[in-house]
Amino acid sequence: MIDCRALSARHGSFRLADVSFVVPAGEYGVVIGPAGSGKTTLLETIAGIVPVTSGTLWLHGRDATSLVPEARSIGLVYQHAFLFPHLSVAQNIAYGAASPEVAELVARRFGADALTGRPVRSLSGGERQLVALARAFARRPSTVLLDEPFSALDPRRRTVVRREVRALHREWGLTTLQVTHDFTEAGLLGDVAILLDDGRALQSGTPEEVFRRPASPYIAEFLGAENVLAGTTHILDERAPDWLEGDPAPIAHGYRAMEFASGPLTLYVVGDFPAGAGYAVIRAEEIVLSLVPPDGSARNRFRGVVTELATLGALTRVTVDITGVPLVASLTTRSAKELGLTVGATVTASFKAMAVHLC
Amino acid sequence: MTPGPTAEPARGAQRIVAVLAALASSLLLLFLAVPIGKLIGAGGLDGARQLFSDAELRQALGLTAVTATTATLLGVLGGTPLAWVLARREFRGRAVLAAVLDLPLLIPHPVAGIALLLLLGRESAVGGGLLAVGLRVVGTPLGIVAAMLFVAAPLFISGAREAFARVEPRFEAVARTLGDSPLRAFVRVTLPLSRRGLVASAVVMWARAVSEFGAIVILTYNPKVASVLSYDRFTSFGLREALPVAAVLAMLALIPLIALRTLRGADDGARS
Repeated sequence: MIDCRALSARHGSFRLADVSFVVPAGEYGVVIGPAGSGKTTLLETIAGIVPVTSGTLWLHGRDATSLVPEARSIGLVYQHAFLFPHLSVAQNIAYGAASPEVAELVARRFGADALTGRPVRSLSGGERQLVALARAFARRPSTVLLDEPFSALDPRRRTVVRREVRALHREWGLTTLQVTHDFTEAGLLGDVAILLDDGRALQSGTPEEVFRRPASPYIAEFLGAENVLAGTTHILDERAPDWLEGDPAPIAHGYRAMEFASGPLTLYVVGDFPAGAGYAVIRAEEIVLSLVPPDGSARNRFRGVVTELATLGALTRVTVDITGVPLVASLTTRSAKELGLTVGATVTASFKAMAVHLC
Repeated sequence: MTPGPTAEPARGAQRIVAVLAALASSLLLLFLAVPIGKLIGAGGLDGARQLFSDAELRQALGLTAVTATTATLLGVLGGTPLAWVLARREFRGRAVLAAVLDLPLLIPHPVAGIALLLLLGRESAVGGGLLAVGLRVVGTPLGIVAAMLFVAAPLFISGAREAFARVEPRFEAVARTLGDSPLRAFVRVTLPLSRRGLVASAVVMWARAVSEFGAIVILTYNPKVASVLSYDRFTSFGLREALPVAAVLAMLALIPLIALRTLRGADDGARS
C-alpha cells in the first residue's frame, strides 16, 4: 500500500505540497497531470530520493517517511531509463536482482533477453525502457514506481509490455504507481487515478470517477472534457418528479434534481451539487445527435446548427451551435455519415440529466 | 535579392577582423610554443646525456616524482569526498567553501610557502607537535609534499567536482532503489562514471606539483627537487649549466600532457 498523508517535499525550486492519496495494497495507481506538475518528484519522494519536508509516507503499513531508499523495497523506472552505461545489459538487469533466476525470468518476459549481448550505448530508447523495467522488477520489490515507462516503445510493443507489467503486478501482488500522459492507458491500467498539478494532488479516485466527475473545470478541461459551461445551479426539489417520473433511481441514491442555467441554455441535472455558481461538464461522447428530436429518455434536448465537423479516424467531432453556445459531440464516423451531417445542418443534441456533472 | 550598398563594406570589415584575430592567435601560439621548443632544442640532448651522468639530477628527478606522487595521492584521498560533497550536496556556505579551496591557486606561491612555514615551522603549534613525534616538515621531503599538496590539490578538487557534477544523480538514485547504500552506489556507479575525469584531474595535479617551485623553495631548499635544482644551477653556474636540467624538466612535462590527451581521446571515443 502507498499511503501519502499531506506529503510535502522540495526538489530544487520545485515544491510538492500536501499531497494525500492512497493506493491500496496490490492495486495499480496512475498519476496524471500536465508537464512540470511534479509527477516525477512525487515518485522520487516515495522512493526516498527526494526527502520529505513534512507529512508522512506509509508503505505497506510501515512508516517510510525517513526510510533510506534501499530499505523501501521499491523498483523505480525513469522515463529515460538511466541504464548504467559502464555495465552490460545483463549486468544492468542483474544489478539488484533478487536472484539470477528472477533476473532471467523478467528479462525474458519483457523481451530484454534478446538484448543482453548488446552494449547499453547501442540500445534504442524503447530497448532501454525494456531493460530498465527488467532491472527494476528483477529486484522483486513490493512497490513499483514507473515514470512513463512505455513512452519510447512503438504502439505494438507498448501493448505487449503494458500487458506484461500488469500481469507481473497481479502475479506478484505488487503495488504499482505509474506516471502517464496517456488517458487511455490510465483508464486501462489504473485502479486509482491521482491528478497532480503544480505540486498538489487535485483529485484522486477511480479513473472512472476522476474522468466522469472531475472536481473542477480545470481538471475537466485537462482530462479532455470539451464542454465546460459556467452558470448557476438551482435545486428543483418538488418540481422535479414530472421529468424524473421514468427514472426514479438517481433520487433514491440521494441525488437531487437541479436546473443549471448557462446563458441561454438551461440544463436538467441530477446530482448532489449545492445551489449557486458552478460549472457543468458534459463529455462529448455523452451527447447524441439526431436530425429529428429523439423519443428517448434524455431530458436535455437542444436544436442547433452544425458549425464544424472534424474526422479523426473512426470518430468524428461535431460542433453544434445552440443559440450562441457551442457544444461538442463525439460520434462514430459511420454514424456521422449515416446521419448525413454537413456544416449548416440543423440537428438535435440530446443528453441525459445524469450525464451532466457539476463542479 | 541583391545585396544592399552596405553589404560590401561590412564583408570587408569582417575580413579585416578575421585576419587580425588570426594574426593575434598565431603570435600568442608562437610566444607559448617557441621558448619551450628552443629550450628543448638547446638543452635537450645534453639533458638526456646528463640523465646518465649527473647523479644530482637523477636524485632531484626521483625526489620530484616521489613527492609529487605522494602529494597527488593525498590530494585524491582527501579531495575526492570534498569534491563529491561540493558537486552533490546543497548546504549553507558551499560557495564560501569552494572559494576557500580556490584560494591557494590565486595567491603567489612564495606567499603560500610563507603561510605553510607559519603553520608547519618548528615555532608553530602544529610544526612543534609534529617535531615532538619525530616528524620534521621544514627542510625535509615532507615539506616538499606539503608545498605541492597546498598549491596543487585545488586543481584536483575543482576537476573532480566537475567530473562528479557531470554524472547524472539519477544513476545513483536508481542504484539506491536497487539496494545500494550511498557508499556502495558511489563505488559501483559514480566512481566508474567519473573515472576519466578523476584521473585527468589527478594527472593535472601531479603535473602542477612537479612544476612547483615558489612554495617549495621556502619550505625545503634541500634536498632539491628538479625545479629547485634548475634554479640553483642557474644562480650558481649560469644559463649554460641550468639549460640541460631545464630542458629535461620541459621534456618530462610532455608525459602528463600525453596522458591527458590519451584520456581525452578515449573519452571522445566512448562518447561517440
